[in-house]
Amino acid sequence: MGEMEELLIVTYRGIFQEVEEALGIYSDSYREESALLFLDRGDALGRKIQADSPVLLETATGKVVVVAKVSEEPHPGIGFMPRSPWSAQLLPAEAGEGGLLQMKRFQARVGPVGEAVTTIEEIGERIRGP
Amino acid sequence: MCDDIEADFDGMQVKRTLNLCRKGRAHYDSLAVDRLTPTAGGSEVRVEEAVSAAGELLAGADRPLLLGFGRSTLEAQRLGIELAKRLGAAIGDPTSRQGLITEGILKGELPTCTFDDVRNYADVSIYWGDDPSSSHPRHLSRFSYFPRGEKRQRGYEEDREAIVIDVRRSPTATIAADGFFQVPPGGDAAFAEALTAALGGKIPKVEDKKKMLNLATKLRKAKFGAIFTGPGLADAQGDLGWFFSLVARLKELTRFSVIPSLPEYNARGLHQALFDAAGSSGPVTFGNEGGSGLGLPGLLEGCDAVLVVGSDPLAGLPAPLARRLAKVPMAAVGTHRNLTTDAAGVTIPTAMAGLEAGGAALRADGVRVDFDSAVESDRSADLQILEMLMEAV
Repeated sequence: MGEMEELLIVTYRGIFQEVEEALGIYSDSYREESALLFLDRGDALGRKIQADSPVLLETATGKVVVVAKVSEEPHPGIGFMPRSPWSAQLLPAEAGEGGLLQMKRFQARVGPVGEAVTTIEEIGERIRGP
Repeated sequence: MCDDIEADFDGMQVKRTLNLCRKGRAHYDSLAVDRLTPTAGGSEVRVEEAVSAAGELLAGADRPLLLGFGRSTLEAQRLGIELAKRLGAAIGDPTSRQGLITEGILKGELPTCTFDDVRNYADVSIYWGDDPSSSHPRHLSRFSYFPRGEKRQRGYEEDREAIVIDVRRSPTATIAADGFFQVPPGGDAAFAEALTAALGGKIPKVEDKKKMLNLATKLRKAKFGAIFTGPGLADAQGDLGWFFSLVARLKELTRFSVIPSLPEYNARGLHQALFDAAGSSGPVTFGNEGGSGLGLPGLLEGCDAVLVVGSDPLAGLPAPLARRLAKVPMAAVGTHRNLTTDAAGVTIPTAMAGLEAGGAALRADGVRVDFDSAVESDRSADLQILEMLMEAV
């Protein structure tokens, strides 16, 4: 596993993900449109992360492996991730400003990894617990 | 909620459609995919038995919680509120903060208009933290940017201006081209403050002062402006007082209206029904410990039964809260299988509104839309399931 470095993650909703969500969250297509992290080219290079390779994101709340993508548009210091069960595993549970949950952005440690992408079934099992 | 869709079906298969966007087509195609079945205690049962089990669960609870309802018809939402009153339960959707905008509109603190007004009169559309090209693909073509309207005969080429304020260059931002203003994450309030200063003729404290001053000039000269607020704005910072202040300033200068872009087809209906019943668009609690303003952590304190209707909170909540919610005895009512239904001890399937069942809903601009069913189904509408639940409790 490579070195993990902090990155600000911002979530968003994309049409392709929403289309696949409507067609069933247990499909490979939904995972392919949701388990993604879009990185700035410089951030990817600095962390030795290659496009389309697995990348580990870790916060105090949880960790997931998703597929790294490299954006054409520069956005140094910020990673964009579809809002999904994968990003939800990393969201802080503590109320932030004004006593409200922060559902949009969080800090995560990010680095290359040689593991498979986390499946929706694994996420479901983690939530339901033993 | 498009009211001009035509479609032909062969059973549950879609054969031909007209005016359906990509998301709408996926919604139609999902008629035959991953549908929920009635279960109780891990076994498949009859719907009546599942409803009875859910009724027992809720009736025996001290602090029940009713979650979801944004994908329910108006009639089902109002019955859901009656059920919450009968149970002394909390009800609402604590995962979205868009209710703050709707509540501002319902209280008269934010001016609003209809989408038809936007199509006919708007010359400036601001999409703030909002990417309708992804979330509501026909928004720009039917109402807010591309169409000709009564006073906007030259459409987007000459008559309309699109401005996008967002942290990322979204598909809508790409359409807006030079009208895209990129804000850093958490920088929305500072942007609004700088814009307010520029509207007052002051030098804004931003890097590109000229661009901000040009924006202020455009907004001051607008004859009919519309602001569409997306989740990027609602989730941005604090209680959104900074946004309300900016809109108040714009209102002093010219006509500007606000319409929220809501993620679920009848989220506006839910906000309005809760507001009518309890004076708040957010989650409200009925009974001895009644009130509003509790977030999900507060709602989960002591909660001993959950009814989820048409929603998948376990997919979107921060993992620790999702795990807490999953440990509470739960009944889930919905159209399709999801993470929440998989964790629920009781599941009750419903018909898909607008396809298998008729009803009514409010568009995000507050306009009521009545719809009929398009295909035959043996599944009951969520309204009928809630009527059965009312009897069961």
